[in-house]
Amino acid sequence: MRNRYALDPNFVRAKRSKKKIAWSIVYYLVGATLSLAFILPLLYMFAASTKDRDGIAQSYGTIMMFIPNFGSSSVFGQNYGFIFAEKEIWKYALNTIIYAAVIIVFNVIINGLAGYVLAKFKFPGKGFFNFIILFLIVVPVETSILPLYSVVNDLLGFNARNNLNFIGVMLPSMISVFNIFLYTQFFSSIPKEYEEAMHIDGASRFRMFFDLILPTSKPIIATTAVFSFIGVWNDYVWPRMMLPARAMGDTSWPLETIQAALTSIQEGGSSISPGQIMAALVVTTVPIFIVYTIAQKYIVKGFGTAGLKM
Amino acid sequence: MLLITLIVLGIVMTFFLVVFVTDMIKSHKSKNQKYHKSEVIMAFVFLAPAVVMMFFFVILPIFMSLGYSFTDYDLMRPSDIGIAGDGFDNFRQLWKELSEHGLILDALINTALFVALVVPIQIGMALLLALFVNNKKRGTTIFKVCFFAPVAISLSVTAYIWKEIIPVDDLNTRYIAIIWIVFLSAWQGCGFQMLIFLSALGNIRKDLYEAAKVDGANVFQRFKTITLPGLRPTMLYILITVFIGACRVMVQPMLLTTYQSQTVTISLFMYKQGMEYNHVGYSCTVALFMTIFMGSITFLQRKLLGEKKK
Repeated sequence: MRNRYALDPNFVRAKRSKKKIAWSIVYYLVGATLSLAFILPLLYMFAASTKDRDGIAQSYGTIMMFIPNFGSSSVFGQNYGFIFAEKEIWKYALNTIIYAAVIIVFNVIINGLAGYVLAKFKFPGKGFFNFIILFLIVVPVETSILPLYSVVNDLLGFNARNNLNFIGVMLPSMISVFNIFLYTQFFSSIPKEYEEAMHIDGASRFRMFFDLILPTSKPIIATTAVFSFIGVWNDYVWPRMMLPARAMGDTSWPLETIQAALTSIQEGGSSISPGQIMAALVVTTVPIFIVYTIAQKYIVKGFGTAGLKM
Repeated sequence: MLLITLIVLGIVMTFFLVVFVTDMIKSHKSKNQKYHKSEVIMAFVFLAPAVVMMFFFVILPIFMSLGYSFTDYDLMRPSDIGIAGDGFDNFRQLWKELSEHGLILDALINTALFVALVVPIQIGMALLLALFVNNKKRGTTIFKVCFFAPVAISLSVTAYIWKEIIPVDDLNTRYIAIIWIVFLSAWQGCGFQMLIFLSALGNIRKDLYEAAKVDGANVFQRFKTITLPGLRPTMLYILITVFIGACRVMVQPMLLTTYQSQTVTISLFMYKQGMEYNHVGYSCTVALFMTIFMGSITFLQRKLLGEKKK
């Protein structure tokens, strides 16, 4: 190889680059096919949301299944109009955003304070808290969702089902043992000198938390906030348990989150066409795509921390 | 309810007091580790919200799940709670249903089949995709976005899309239905593991590959001797998280099909028994075994990973 290269470099280079180009073509072809295969169901979702019942039935099983219909027979406007005006999906979306915002604020303050104490304070019983945190990360909490339901029910005293249910949707998400763990790790790396300087200036511990710890920990807070938001937006079972479906004809402001609303819409019976359901799914999915696009940086960082520190 | 709360509170407080007192004694004996009174007070003030929330929404439900499994608790009549028979009625019921081929046996078989298929398929797909896009070629970002896109979609949206795509009969056919659920779950989830694999691949030293190339190792030898060992810790982490996620599968069969023997899973069984048939006690008995099983798997993971780090 080396000898031939020495003899005629141009010949080898040309041959190599030809091979390289061939490989590149194969690579991109395979990549494009795979990518298409992955987004086909999403294309279907969007395509179906532009069609009426017959349009979907006719295209089923053919290539037209994945191609949106913007022609003269398109019911794009009607489907989305129905979801927004008739089913008022924006109200559910707004609910979810408000819930998520409240959860994030409480989550950061409650778990952040705990993380701050565990990272920086000296107090008797610290070992106990560290043990509890590590223990609770190991124990799978998901299997105790029914007892959690009855605890929240009893705390808010609403076996009679009043309008306090929506608080129950938010309460359990405000505490996150894993976030306490992450915050403790992150806050530990903030140099002690900063705190000492603030202490000399007479700042209270509370001030230090809000003026020093939180501002210097923006990346980790952003990461946990993004994950909280995605978690709340995509959660299905818990809000569905806390908030039973609204009665037919109830015109008051709904309390359900967006995922729970999907089921209400889907269970609307034969009056709802598959295209309208697909339109609702598109409306549910687009905001989360936007969040992923904007917050990319923090999400990738989150994978790093979640993957390596566990 | 109040009684259980007080018992659990008592247990937790006793443990805490033991640690607290031993810490105090230790600090009295050694001169260099003194606690400052104001710091200790502030520590407990800051910890208080997190501790209260953790007690009610994490610790209490775990203990209650344990306690309920011996009772005939009913969500509709919470004050009627009593010990079920001699306390082990739920366990006998579980054994009876298992030996007489009740729905729980179907749930067990379906869940086992789902886990056995989805774990290798999802992780295999994720690894192949990660290796595929792990290069500096132009345009791989587009591929990554396509592969990751399904992750952004919630489980309920995934289920609703595929409900329209999958032929209706398939969902009522034993095994075929589970295979569809495996397929759509792997499709939805593997982009997430792909990103984790990618960040691990990025951490493998490039000069190792160069050295192996000089030594004449081919692509497969390099993969076997450099890539795989480099991915080992990540692989374990992914294996366990995917495994545990798979054990909990619930939303997909819940929304794709009705509560039927072909697709019922353990989580779905627990949810339906508790929420719709009001057998919370029985549901918690199943949860107890599930928690023990998943907890020991997680414990094993931490053991294995912990040893790797040393």
